[in-house]
Amino acid sequence: MKDVFFFIIYILIAIFALFPLLWGLKLSLTPKYDYGFWPKSLTLVHYKAIFQRKEVIVYFLNSVKVALGTIVIVVPLSLMAAYALARFCFPGRRTLGMILLLLPMLPMTAILVPLVSYYNKLGLYNTIQGVILVNATFSLPLAVWMLRNFIVNTPKNIEEAALIDGLGPMQTLFRVTLPMIRPGVMTVIIYLFISSWNGYTASYALTTSPDKRVLAQGVLAFLGSWETDWGGLTAMGLLMVFPPILLFLCFQDTFIAGMFGESLK
Amino acid sequence: MIQKRTPLYMLLPVLVLMVIFLLVPICKGIVMTLESTSLSGETSFVGFRNFIGLFTEGDRMRMNLSITLKYVVADIVLTIPVAYLVALLVVRKGKMAKFFRSLYLIPWISAPVVSTLMVRSMLDSEIGIIHIMVRHIVGHDVLILNNSTLALLVLILHSFWRSYPFIMLFLSAGMSTIPNEYYEAAHIDGANKRDCFFRITLPLTANQLCIGILMVTIWTIQDSESIFALTKGGPGNSTETLAVRLFKSSFVNFDLNQGAVIGFILVVITLLFMFLYVKVLLRGDLYE
Repeated sequence: MKDVFFFIIYILIAIFALFPLLWGLKLSLTPKYDYGFWPKSLTLVHYKAIFQRKEVIVYFLNSVKVALGTIVIVVPLSLMAAYALARFCFPGRRTLGMILLLLPMLPMTAILVPLVSYYNKLGLYNTIQGVILVNATFSLPLAVWMLRNFIVNTPKNIEEAALIDGLGPMQTLFRVTLPMIRPGVMTVIIYLFISSWNGYTASYALTTSPDKRVLAQGVLAFLGSWETDWGGLTAMGLLMVFPPILLFLCFQDTFIAGMFGESLK
Repeated sequence: MIQKRTPLYMLLPVLVLMVIFLLVPICKGIVMTLESTSLSGETSFVGFRNFIGLFTEGDRMRMNLSITLKYVVADIVLTIPVAYLVALLVVRKGKMAKFFRSLYLIPWISAPVVSTLMVRSMLDSEIGIIHIMVRHIVGHDVLILNNSTLALLVLILHSFWRSYPFIMLFLSAGMSTIPNEYYEAAHIDGANKRDCFFRITLPLTANQLCIGILMVTIWTIQDSESIFALTKGGPGNSTETLAVRLFKSSFVNFDLNQGAVIGFILVVITLLFMFLYVKVLLRGDLYE
């Protein structure tokens, strides 16, 4: 009896959590002018129409570039910094750790304002690389902090053995420590993918030409120009949320334990 | 093999990126608050005129601040209790709790611009389910996003929907580190469930609760993506928080000097909450 009660509560919260997306799924699969709550017929016409639009492919590829570029920069650099913070004693280590913990709280939008003219001078304005570099820099502190916590929690003696065997600190990090903190690296990669895939502020601020837009910015533009083509818009929105949700669901246990704490394993 | 400078070399790439893309822009941003840019692109020093202008141009700035306050407070009041209750639910043992907690995190994973899109389709005056339900209840059409109070309410509910899942998991992680022995000992001493909650669970998650409140505060203060996508600050300026004003001034109207001033104010407000955050961390020994 008690289990049934809890099950009903679980289901009710799940409906609340998923309702907007399920509603969007229904709109994206029903033909125009089918207003009923339960659709009378299903169609893929909205999805087909989207795949015929060239700009959508461009936006999609830009988003892939930004997400992958961010991951490729952030993961190795943050691993090195995290290793230094976790394993070496040096003056200012505690302060640096605290700064890294606080930096992600700064409002990104505010820092993008001076970057606009600064980027002009650096020749990075209106380039995908510029968006990647900003995304990478803003995600570095959190990535370093998360990886540092993972490294601190692995035993030190295997590394010491490797160092005695004559491996340099970099080799030790990438050959000995890295395999031990694989779940942590995976968590950071998923987090980086989600955060750089979802946002539009950086590319909105730092690019002007439509062919440099990322998907999120594209969806924002469509939201203004497709007006009430809700079938097309919701199909577009679902295509956009599909990759991060899929990635999350594939690695949900690793990600939740890595993000929030091993006690949730 | 390990030299004194090894940690410096390993930190160097990160530090270089931070200086180029964070420290220099921040310094430049502070200078920009004191400058004015002419149409031809020349800058001139104007002192605090940008700040004074912003606060004396009518009551828009005062409205921005009061809307931000409403948005933040309402979001905390909704998010924290709900997140806490759902955390108590998903922290239970078993496959069911694990399965559902993943589903519950999905709103946090979906892009703000997409959840906004879904909300707007739910409010559409022809097909929107919420619009139709409201019409049934009040008997006539209500254009929800054209009404300043209702538009703000939609924003608050949307923000709540997005932000409670993360806090819920954060709190449940805190709850799951409480040793079971505490509850067993309490049981032996004759404590009931209510005592256990108020004497063990709640005090031992108090620090997490404080951090949760601070996290929601900072997210909501800084949120411009979902507000810009949902209402653009409208109708009028009735849902224009400080962060949306910043976004619109800088990247829609290209008034970068005004943007720098609003950004500066936003950073100062954030620093205040950072300070509180550090206090909570140090008090709870959460920073090792």
